Amino acid sequence: MSDLHSVLLNEDKCEGCTNCVKNCPTDAIRVHQGQAIIKDQKCIDCGECVRSCQHHAKEVTTDELDNIEVYNYPIVIVAPSFYGQFTKEIDPVKVVIAFKELGFEEVWDAALGAEALTKKTAQYLQKSEGPVISSSCPTIVRLVKLLYPELIEYLAPFKSPVDLIAQRAKNRAMEEENIAEEDIGVFFITPCPAKMSTVDNPLGLEKSYLDGAIAVDKIYRKLLKKVKAMDEEIKEENYEAPYLGISWGKRGGEADLLAKENTISISGIQNVISILDELDRGDLPEIKYFELVSCEPGCVGGVLNVKNPFLAQFNIENLIKKQDKFIEQDLSKYDFELDKDFSPNTVAPLDNDFESAMAKLTELEKEIDELPGLDCAACGAPDCRTLAEDIINGLAKRSDCIFILRQQLAELTDEMSSLAHSLPPIIQKEEENKDED
Amino acid sequence: MGIGDGKEILDAKVEAGDFSSGGETSSKLKDLLRKLGIPAKVIRKIAIITYELEINIIIHSEGGNLSAEVTSEKIDIIASDCGPGIDNVEQAFKPGYSTASESIREMGFGAGMGLCNIKNYADDLEVETELGEGTTIIASVYLK
Repeated sequence: MSDLHSVLLNEDKCEGCTNCVKNCPTDAIRVHQGQAIIKDQKCIDCGECVRSCQHHAKEVTTDELDNIEVYNYPIVIVAPSFYGQFTKEIDPVKVVIAFKELGFEEVWDAALGAEALTKKTAQYLQKSEGPVISSSCPTIVRLVKLLYPELIEYLAPFKSPVDLIAQRAKNRAMEEENIAEEDIGVFFITPCPAKMSTVDNPLGLEKSYLDGAIAVDKIYRKLLKKVKAMDEEIKEENYEAPYLGISWGKRGGEADLLAKENTISISGIQNVISILDELDRGDLPEIKYFELVSCEPGCVGGVLNVKNPFLAQFNIENLIKKQDKFIEQDLSKYDFELDKDFSPNTVAPLDNDFESAMAKLTELEKEIDELPGLDCAACGAPDCRTLAEDIINGLAKRSDCIFILRQQLAELTDEMSSLAHSLPPIIQKEEENKDED
Repeated sequence: MGIGDGKEILDAKVEAGDFSSGGETSSKLKDLLRKLGIPAKVIRKIAIITYELEINIIIHSEGGNLSAEVTSEKIDIIASDCGPGIDNVEQAFKPGYSTASESIREMGFGAGMGLCNIKNYADDLEVETELGEGTTIIASVYLK
């Protein structure tokens, strides 16, 4: 694992198959010498490789529950999608209490930040002319930075609900509880590697307000045990579940709350790519707000969750029927602005010099013509075009293609065979003489 | 610098009525331009122009061709088709003017914004058209 990403390859488990290579939406993975390698610059933390690896060789590094002990005052932030991991009879309040029993001093809902952000976004949409793309899913932000830099200006220029709440909770603990900053540890219960990656590699911020993230599947059993042991009538003072914000955990929740605007909700990375391609070819003036989430159907589909994504979606839909009002809160408690603009992270051109890039492009087209075009991925690259590009960039060789290699071997064999049968002149003479005899 | 000075990086056939492939040429061109290190803002203009030209061939013509030529200064997109030609060029570039059939409009195309969009995004535009023969449009975008 690098500092940039949280997906890690378990080398013992990797069989060198190319499932992850072929399912990576940004062509970020190659298999070399039987091991998958993730290219840092192209990885957007979507987790598709984790999902597609049948050998479970792609692991996500997140914090352990024990890591919270480093801090005197650990705070936990619960993702809206987390509530989808439980059936309806488990009240959010029990989840909150269970987290406290696990050792957290304070429990905050990212959903509360989602409600605040909904209000802020509604105001922003009134003023903004162009379309707005939600910037709450870090994978989508990274996707736009990498493949659609021309659409960066459409990204909503606000912190995500998790960042909003993390900042608010940390500041509150310092100001109102007089706790020193270094004693506070803010941990997010993350459904996906993408949010984990934002701890060390934040988006639009100088430094993340999160100190760590714990995968849902690492904490679920411990938490469920506490929840199950709880008294039915248990109550928590000063806690009100932000049901509308919790709807953000599934596709459509975010956009539905912006009811006044023309919105569209897309989940699943390939679906998102198809709509961004459309937007890239020309504005879609009829759509004002794009809720785009990498996982299907929304954050409940994150690879670190426990429950089937669609059952989790069902659970959330059931849960949010309980309330149809926003929690009353003072928006001035939030600092929505980003520290810096989202910046492009485009892949380098074939060459920085235009003329050389042109020459390389010609070479590339020739190389593509040489390759069989079967996109079998046996070379370790996702398709022939990508292999051709790797060859041009000196990262692969043509004989990495098993068909080319076979052809080269056949040619070599023919040549060896014809060499073996061509006799030196002196022997030829003798053979002829023999025939005459 | 005129047309033909640049290097052709794309030459694609566009079939009439082939909506399912619409956008493929502009996506391919976008990818090529990115490999050349062309700035994102220029790529967006080119992508929009190319898509509109592509869709125009699909909707209005009997088939045609899209190509792109690149120099260190500009990119030319050349769309030529066999088709009805444009009767009144000036009018055709007005926003909202459309000759598309009802069925095309029902598909969400033919809103009369295509040529007008091309004009908005291109730095130079040339239109050669002959009724009953076809149309050639050359749209240029400068890199600086």
